[in-house]
Amino acid sequence: MYNNMGPQPGMPMHQGIPQPGMPMHPAIPQPSPSEYVQSNISRYFSDPQYYFQVNDQYVRNKLKIVLFPFLHRGHWTRISEPVGGRLSYKPPIYDINAPDLYIPLMAFGTYVVLAGLSLGLYGKFSPEALNWLFVKGMVGWFLQVMLLKISLLSLGSGEAPLLDIVAYAGYTFTGLCLAVLGKIIWGYSYYVLIPWTCLCTGVFLVKTMKRVLFAEARSYDSSRHHYLLIFVALAQFPLLIWLGNISVNWLF
Amino acid sequence: MTKDFAVPPVVFPPTGGSSGGANVQQRRFSAIPFQQPPPSSSSQIPFLSFNMGSAAASSATHAGPFGGTIASSSSFGGGGGSPSFEDEEPLLDELGIHPDQIWKKTRSILNPFRINQTVHKDSDLSGPIFLYLALCLFQLLAGKIQFGVILGWIVVSSIFLYVVFNMLAGRNGNLNLHTCTSLVGYCLLPVVVLSAVSLFVPQGAGPVKYVLAGVFVLWSTRACSTLVVSLADGGEEHRGLIAYACFLIYTLFSLLVIF
Repeated sequence: MYNNMGPQPGMPMHQGIPQPGMPMHPAIPQPSPSEYVQSNISRYFSDPQYYFQVNDQYVRNKLKIVLFPFLHRGHWTRISEPVGGRLSYKPPIYDINAPDLYIPLMAFGTYVVLAGLSLGLYGKFSPEALNWLFVKGMVGWFLQVMLLKISLLSLGSGEAPLLDIVAYAGYTFTGLCLAVLGKIIWGYSYYVLIPWTCLCTGVFLVKTMKRVLFAEARSYDSSRHHYLLIFVALAQFPLLIWLGNISVNWLF
Repeated sequence: MTKDFAVPPVVFPPTGGSSGGANVQQRRFSAIPFQQPPPSSSSQIPFLSFNMGSAAASSATHAGPFGGTIASSSSFGGGGGSPSFEDEEPLLDELGIHPDQIWKKTRSILNPFRINQTVHKDSDLSGPIFLYLALCLFQLLAGKIQFGVILGWIVVSSIFLYVVFNMLAGRNGNLNLHTCTSLVGYCLLPVVVLSAVSLFVPQGAGPVKYVLAGVFVLWSTRACSTLVVSLADGGEEHRGLIAYACFLIYTLFSLLVIF
């Protein structure tokens, strides 16, 4: 706008500096779309941006841990760093044990797509059936979150952030996707993959919850801890069998 | 062919013929494009012409009964102060639909190996609506009425891609929802082609359909992820992660087509 006018006699035009008599157009900083999304979500949860700081390498390694937790040679504790006087955990790129929300979201989407594919291969596909599968997956995720949250609360430490629990609960969908994929490829592999998935998810959740409890628990009551952790692991079996059973009616 | 009935000749009384002829003469000089050329003889009907806002014509038609009725109707249609017909924008421009731009954008996706990103810089939603209607049409030809389903899935998947991209890109992600929907819609073109092609694949050939769907879904994914990463900041180091999200979206649409 200033360039078009050029130099005028008697009134030097400075770029960007408002002259008296010129109309003021204050620049209103527009929030970028990502800030808009984040500011709306962070009103209800802890900062969700933390859970999406991932890269390819993290995703690959985390999938290896979730699907084969026995083979994880390292430790399971999250690395913490002092930030602004408070202790906070390092983001997922730097710490393989940190939870993230990208993998659970993608695993859930993959579960819905694979379940739709398996329905279609048995000739029962319809968009309404896919919607019911979506609802079923959401209910399963919610039940898993409830399980973890209640087990944390009953041990007296409910301060773990909600999105952490949501992320841990969502990791079960990765194993579930593997089981459904196996069912599509060869029907009988399902009967091997489902117990394997339940076991792996159980081990993963137990190891993760143990660290969360150590970090947050006010009182360390050994036997109650262990019974609850075993209960969490055993509860995976009915939950995953229910979720893995892809059929048109969503209740069973 | 002989007529079975006698058509009585229609005779119009030549009242006000001279003044009607004068009206017709004056109206001929007003040069409105859609005006019918008035007949030369004075005893014919002066045609109804819609003179929008031309005050000269309406003032000249006060004489004569025909002129009176036509003046009332034309001044009714003219109104006070509305712009004349030739000053209006073409309808498509006013609606914001630019067919040549839509065609350019669609053609840029047709080549799966080299996608021209500059053409997609300003996003529009009319191309995606056109592609959505084409997909619904091909599904209709296959016997599935899925208008609402496809529209709902387009909306949900564009919101999904918007959230995933902006969360992955962090502070400097600037994909906005309009661009996102536009890209998701344009990259539906391979799915539209798939649904057209699968109308001709014979019924029993299952694996052929799956392989075909796989090829088209990969084409769609490549197009969408390339465009999204190049048009918005912050996505370069997350190409694979965003490509997987696009892959999920287009696999979902291809499920609608195959099954």
